[in-house]
Order: sequence, then C-alpha cells, then structure tokens
Amino acid sequence: MDEPRDPQLLKGVLPMLVLALLTERESYGYELVTRLHEGGLDDLSAGTLYPVLNRLERDGQISSRLVASSAGPARKYYVPTPAGTDQLWSTARSWQQLSTTVELMLARATPKESS
Amino acid sequence: MSTSLRDTLVRERYLTRFSWALQDHPKDKQIVRELRTELTATAAEVGMRAAVADLGHPRVLADAYLNELGRPVPRWATGAVWGALAVGAVAYLAFAYGIGTLDTIGQMGGGTLERVFLGATTTFTNDDGAVSVSSTLTWQVLVFYAAVFTVPFLLGARVWRVWAGSPATARAAHA
Repeated sequence: MDEPRDPQLLKGVLPMLVLALLTERESYGYELVTRLHEGGLDDLSAGTLYPVLNRLERDGQISSRLVASSAGPARKYYVPTPAGTDQLWSTARSWQQLSTTVELMLARATPKESS
Repeated sequence: MSTSLRDTLVRERYLTRFSWALQDHPKDKQIVRELRTELTATAAEVGMRAAVADLGHPRVLADAYLNELGRPVPRWATGAVWGALAVGAVAYLAFAYGIGTLDTIGQMGGGTLERVFLGATTTFTNDDGAVSVSSTLTWQVLVFYAAVFTVPFLLGARVWRVWAGSPATARAAHA
C-alpha cells in the first residue's frame, strides 16, 4: 500500500509534470487529471491542477486553443510554449540534482534505523 | 448536448460560492467563466456532481488560485464592508443622539434646539405641534462622512497590497 503523501511534495513538482505531459501531447484540463492518475498520482484532483494551469498560462509557459466538441462546449487544449519547454528542462535538471542529494542523505540515515 | 436544470443548479451553486471567494483575484470573472465551460464539458464525461466534487471546496479552490498569484492581493469587498459598517455606526450614533435630544427637549417642556457640527446646523423641535429634525449640509460634513468610509475601507482592503510585489520580485530588487 502506498504511503500517504504530503501535499507539499506534489506542489513543487506538479508544474514540471504538467509541462512534461503536455510536451508528450496536448491535453485539456480534465484529460490531464486522468493522465496524471494513470501515471500514479491517483489522489490528485482537478481542483489542484486547474490553478496550476492558470498560472502556467499566465506566465507564458503554456498556450491554449479551443477545440469544438460534439459532446458539449469547446474544450481548451494546452501545449507548452518555447519558454515552457525551456523551463521544463531547467526544472528537470534541478529535480535530478535534488533527487540525488535526497537519496544520498536518506542512504546515510538508513544504517542508524537498523542498529 | 444541453445541461439539465438540476446540473445547471449544481454548477451555478458551486460557481457562486467560488466567485465570492475569488473576488479579489484580478482575473476572477475570466476564471469563473473558464471554469463554467470546463465543468460543463467535464460533466459530459463523468456527470456534473462528480465534476464539481473533484474541484473540492470552492473556498479552497479560490485560495489555490489566489496563492498561485505569488503575492497578496487587496481585499476590496472586505474593505467595502468595513467602510459601510463605519458609516452605519456613525449614522446610528447620530440617530441615537437625535432621539435623545428630542426626548430631553420634551422632558423640559418642549421647544427648539440648534446644534452646529462642521458648519451644518441641525434644528431639533419637540412641542405640542410637531416633532422634527432638520439639518443643513456643508462640504465639511460630506468630507467627514467620506473619511469615515474611506479610512476603514482602505484599512480593511489592505490597500498597501496594491504596491506589494511577489517574493521573487522583491529578491530581484535587492540583488
């Protein structure tokens, strides 16, 4: 069973994950929620994602276009801008460096727990 | 596909509470409009109740949008409430003063009394023929009431937040 997750852990990486998924292919809001669930973030809600999309668009990291739908109103599809793509890879490098540091520190802590 | 009346009521009830909580956001109307469209479209996939439930509490969602601004925003609605309460309190005190003055005049056998406040003359009359209060109006009184509203309004609205930047802007300015 998965450990309950601190929401603050997700808050820092969610914009990067959104940019990564949109780099793979464009999506509308709720479809992104579904894709994040399929990726393992099954406790993520639309209420957590929509403000992030709003900020990314306001900051010019994603752009949007309306696509007509036969099942209802037009959907807003998002795609990264060049600035968003640059931000994604910059954040990804920072994440990898941080991840390495965290793993090293946790590895040093582990022998103390077993003694 | 059109939205049923019940779904419309569920959606609009949520959006009303959300827009009230979001009213201090600079783009609040645009966000509400886009969220309405998104809810309607999502309801076609999962139903309106599920679509609304997945957004969470409307105040929590509004706070998330406000937090993403990265800076505190003025609270104009709160300021307007403070200003209105201040004017109401002064008006109540003036009304109570008037009632007390008329009662005192009556207890003393009736008559007329004039009071001057900031150049405006208020005449209190209480005798067998009439009970009345009349007043002139001066610009000083208007300025007084404007100040009674404006000072609490600005304080309640946290107006200094208009000039507050984001923490990133502050760090860049000091770099």
